[in-house]
Amino acid sequence: MLEGINKIGDLEWEVPIGYVPDMRVPGRFFLSRTLAETLEEGAVRQLANVATLPGIVRHSLAMPDIHWGYGFPIGGVAAFDMTEGVISPGGVGFDINCGVRLITTPLTEADLAGKKRELIERLFAAVPTGVGGKSGLRISNKEVVEVMQNGARWAVERGLGTDADLVRCEEEGAMPGADPDAVSGKARQRGIPQLGTLGGGNHFLEIQVVQEIVDPEAARVFGVTEGQVCFMVHCGSRGLGHQVATDHLRTLEHALAKYRIQLPDRQLACAPVDSPEGRAYYGAMASAANYAWANRQVIMHEARNVFTQLFGIDYDEMRLVYDVAHNVAKFERHDVNGAATEVCVHRKGATRAFGPGAPGIPHEYAAVGQPVLIPGSMGTSSYLLCGTAAAMQKTWGSTCHGAGRVLSRSKAKKEVRGRELREQLAGAGILVRAHSDSVLAEEAPEVYKPSHEVVRIVHEAGLSGTVARLNPLGVIKG
Amino acid sequence: MSFEELEHTADVLMRVRGATLNELFEEAGRAMFHVMYGSCEDRGAGWRIDLEAENPESLLIDYLSELLFVSEVENIVFCAFDVDIQSTRLSAVLRGEPFDPARHSAGAHIKGISYFGLEIVKEEENYVVDIIFDI
Repeated sequence: MLEGINKIGDLEWEVPIGYVPDMRVPGRFFLSRTLAETLEEGAVRQLANVATLPGIVRHSLAMPDIHWGYGFPIGGVAAFDMTEGVISPGGVGFDINCGVRLITTPLTEADLAGKKRELIERLFAAVPTGVGGKSGLRISNKEVVEVMQNGARWAVERGLGTDADLVRCEEEGAMPGADPDAVSGKARQRGIPQLGTLGGGNHFLEIQVVQEIVDPEAARVFGVTEGQVCFMVHCGSRGLGHQVATDHLRTLEHALAKYRIQLPDRQLACAPVDSPEGRAYYGAMASAANYAWANRQVIMHEARNVFTQLFGIDYDEMRLVYDVAHNVAKFERHDVNGAATEVCVHRKGATRAFGPGAPGIPHEYAAVGQPVLIPGSMGTSSYLLCGTAAAMQKTWGSTCHGAGRVLSRSKAKKEVRGRELREQLAGAGILVRAHSDSVLAEEAPEVYKPSHEVVRIVHEAGLSGTVARLNPLGVIKG
Repeated sequence: MSFEELEHTADVLMRVRGATLNELFEEAGRAMFHVMYGSCEDRGAGWRIDLEAENPESLLIDYLSELLFVSEVENIVFCAFDVDIQSTRLSAVLRGEPFDPARHSAGAHIKGISYFGLEIVKEEENYVVDIIFDI
């Protein structure tokens, strides 16, 4: 482990006050000795930088997929007091409400025999991907405002889904407090042609099979069975969210002097939660988050139609298990010194993992906690987990969001050939479709920490419980 | 002058050099479009942007963010950058070609320009800046 960090539990580490100047609280993160070898000093410094922000409550936290980002580390979680504390786009990221949803089907892997290639090609044709991918939907300026207000409900009201889908989304697919007036014309202009598109980078639509059930009771509650074919959607708020982050970072940077906030990193630009600038960012961020829920809803709808056409199954037989956000800031009630208190929780590359009985999770899941979805890297397993009471106590009800990168894009390109990787995955029965093979190299499995190790840590640290493991069968990439 | 990609685990870190501020900004534009689209030719598509910011670093972020915006909404891939900075004001004339999925899909989608560690420094004869592009 890096120097200056204290071990405080089997998988828990503390970054003491003084690691960087002006820390108000200690930092804490969760990591095994194996993964500690990949920990970057820059990521720990970023975790410590977050601890310098005004009004931070208890600890600056990071999940085991911690890695070096900008502003907050990726995997970073922090809560701020509603009066003394701040809100920061650097604690959310450019891709507001990047998130994941998982949908089950009544099919088994045998049903896909001989049709898998066609399925992937049809999905690739139905869901626009990559840089420059434009939507088949034609929405007006007025409609994009409705999307920002109503999120996934906007899509369902247009027939692109069912009411049951909404219940199985974090925030029921639309968080409160959206203020489209705080979203610039530029952001809307970017968002209008992109609703229902995956985008690029690590975003994907993947066909999976439930390989292993670890917690039969939770799996039963979530409606997931061994051998079942599922699909997973991973994407965010596209250019609209990126522009909201860009615009408000600039505004908040200007406001720093006004609020006499000193920062170790300009990317942590922030304003008091209850200030005109802080409220404007929150309202714009919530608008972008709602756009992202609508986006994943539209993509799921298109994918369901492809399954219906190709396999003759009913639309309603493809059940949304859950939809989680992993880049977002929210006002939530948590136990602070024994009293239920509202705080502003930032999760940047971290997933909400509310435990049994927590408010805001679907009634049908109340007994086992909310579903948590951890996408694997290309060719590796994804996981379905459940939230826990321990996460509520230790991490503001948060857990990891994915594997976390260990290899740079430039090294990946040198070490991995996209075409070879595609052929190798095809040999293992995993079909990959993208606009270009070179984008595959950057997302190769060896570029990421092993997802099973990250999941093992959150399970053993009690931040979530493993419910099921899903293996990839085919993927379309941005 | 030049740009080179440095090691960065999560995002793309580019070191950009220029003999003048104008050249530094031109190279920064070239670096960004290289990451996003790979190759590009000047086929007559043109654009002009005018900006003002309180310091060179903010001007650089605003300029690159504006290029991202224009490229995305106008579907243009830029390859030629002519930048003129006078104090806090920037004017840039850009040239390139319409986005073509067949030729421009090999790159990485940039979501934003990070403020982290962004500082324009003068090293001997050159201006140098490290820019993190969020991908």
